[in-house]
Amino acid sequence: MFYIYKTSCISPQSSYGSPALSELVASAGNKLMAQEPVYSGIPPGILRRMGKAVRIGIGAALPLIADKQETQGIIIGTANGGMEDCIKFLNQIIEYDEGKLTPTNFVQSTPNAIAGQLGLMQSNKGYNITHSNRGLSFENALMDVDMLLAENKNAKYLVGAVDEISAYNFRIEWLGGWYKSEDSSNLNLFENESDGSIAGEGAAMFLAGNEKQGSICRLTDIHFFQTDSAGVVKEALTKFLAKHLPSGKSPDLFMSGENGDRRMQKYYEACTGSLAANTPVLSFKQMCGEYPTASSFGAWAACEILRTQEIPMHMLRTSSSTSNTPISSIFIYNTYKGNQHSFMLLEK
Amino acid sequence: MRIFVTGIGIISALGNNAQQNRSSLSSGKSGISSLEMLSSRYASIMPFGEVKISTDDLIKKMDARESGVTRTDLLALHAFNEAVNNSRLTPAQLSDPNTALIGASTVGGMCLTDELFLDSTSREVGSPYLSSYDCASPVMYLQKRFSIGGVINSINTACSSSANAIMYGARLIKQGKAKRAIVGGTDSLAKFTINGFNSLLILSDAPCQPFDEARRGLNLGEGAAFLVLEAEEDVKDKNCYAELTGYSNTNDAFHPSSLSDNGDGPFLSMQGALRTAGLETSQIDFINAHGTGTENNDLVESRAMINLFTTPPPFVSTKAYTGHTLGAAGAIEAVFSIFSLVNDEIYPAVNFEHAIADTGLVPAKKFEKKRISHVMSNSFGFGGNCTSLILSKV
Repeated sequence: MFYIYKTSCISPQSSYGSPALSELVASAGNKLMAQEPVYSGIPPGILRRMGKAVRIGIGAALPLIADKQETQGIIIGTANGGMEDCIKFLNQIIEYDEGKLTPTNFVQSTPNAIAGQLGLMQSNKGYNITHSNRGLSFENALMDVDMLLAENKNAKYLVGAVDEISAYNFRIEWLGGWYKSEDSSNLNLFENESDGSIAGEGAAMFLAGNEKQGSICRLTDIHFFQTDSAGVVKEALTKFLAKHLPSGKSPDLFMSGENGDRRMQKYYEACTGSLAANTPVLSFKQMCGEYPTASSFGAWAACEILRTQEIPMHMLRTSSSTSNTPISSIFIYNTYKGNQHSFMLLEK
Repeated sequence: MRIFVTGIGIISALGNNAQQNRSSLSSGKSGISSLEMLSSRYASIMPFGEVKISTDDLIKKMDARESGVTRTDLLALHAFNEAVNNSRLTPAQLSDPNTALIGASTVGGMCLTDELFLDSTSREVGSPYLSSYDCASPVMYLQKRFSIGGVINSINTACSSSANAIMYGARLIKQGKAKRAIVGGTDSLAKFTINGFNSLLILSDAPCQPFDEARRGLNLGEGAAFLVLEAEEDVKDKNCYAELTGYSNTNDAFHPSSLSDNGDGPFLSMQGALRTAGLETSQIDFINAHGTGTENNDLVESRAMINLFTTPPPFVSTKAYTGHTLGAAGAIEAVFSIFSLVNDEIYPAVNFEHAIADTGLVPAKKFEKKRISHVMSNSFGFGGNCTSLILSKV
């Protein structure tokens, strides 16, 4: 359990700086691309060499680390890091038949380049790590911070997640059947009952610590696991909620990671079936698209809802009215490809 | 809470199991040779630390016939099997929610450089490897094969990845998030990394010479190692190889691909590991240095050792034996550190002739039997990621 004080997010929506989430920005070509801000805090010479994942990761983190003394470590989750740089380097290998190559793409392609660059820019010599466990990279980053804060009570940490769309990983995931083969839009993501989702990307960053004062909310618990079985998800959910909520009580909101892929629906239905029938269900993948660390966008959006007490209409998946009672708890369930699953409970 | 190592497994250019690796180290026999299993234009120009079993033979040997399995996965499986058998973990224990698996890899399925190129650019129908390329793939493969039930993670901090996997596993146990953790790393040789390190002009065309004035760069290697970590109260009658007493993760915060002149990151990680272990510098009997054989690393690491220890204890870089195995290096070298503790011996530097003029540090030059109580193992990587571990005699 820990508290979140500040958040920052670069995503396909207007999420950076002063977020404006009521209007849903539309996708193009089955992709939701990040809206990148002007990166005034990054020296131009460094900015030019950065690939997109590094750029949006650093850009999202900058507002949280303006004060150099504030964080004792940097914990990033990313499944792929700089995928574009990775394949650009691969192209060089093939094109020049392993001849003389330039190293920039190689250095930028390592997933730890984001956390490393943040450490460098912040002169932060503390704990620095990159978790790359595909669809549970962000979740492991959160668990790491939870452990760090138990080990170092007075510390604060920067934790977040980044992944990018590149032409190459889009193609690989598309070949794998994870993106819709028909032309689709996020504006009606849940209406087409077909396989696959639409691609997304983004960077979400959080400042975390043990002090309650000055916090937006707390991450009460996180739990993640591997299974193909919706029954196992249902069982784990019951256990998770029983641990944190009074018997029979459901969280104020259920934020679902459903992504328009009909094969994933059984997992989300296992969750809605276990919550009180009138629990409002929200979705977030129409905003950020599907990517391995999309749950970090979900967590960011949950923090925004707890902070502002406002729910963008396009997020509501159920007609159940969100009455005027304050929103104090949000439960997030997400699955990546139906075999990696995570629960997060955020509370005011 | 004390954390013990109850199982070890390793495969490297020095051999296919713990016994073969130790035997090569004891006789000062390097595994650096010319490339036979991978085709690359550098195969005949540069030496490598290659595991001399073909991918097909690894598949047959372990009956690993799942679709999309890569050499990186297979090396991991080989070391994992040895570690798990060594610790006598049962299938029921593997699938228990209290068993964590924390791995590390920097190459993952990118060892199939040409397959990845085709899948990501031009193929109309994907290869069987579509979900095998990322660096989580080896861990995901092991999780699925053995239905491992607890926390699963892959860490990527470049060349210090598996040292961080070991540290993460120990912290999970200490905080009650696991009872046991199988921790380690794997990487196989790949055109991707060969060309990457070559583009940085840090590959040597001769067997590498860590800490030598005339060092000309590193040799890449491949391999995997896993350790089984368990809490003191769960060890019962098991054989304990070592205690993991110290660990620390820091950042050098200087440059994306080289270390600062004074080695702040390395200094702080070594100092932090001593602090976690509650040890004085004088109590470290041996250091398994990062020692890549590059101009930058060896000079900076030497300076950091001098700054911390004044007169450093005997040290060696075993990368002159295995090559730099990247994401596997931290785990492989933790296993070598355990060999020193269990057998009270230190292994000699190979290819070393002349000390670096600026520091005058001379690594251990001959095989020696002596009492070893605490070994420090260093791993430093791109992105300024530095991690030091301390393993102690039980």
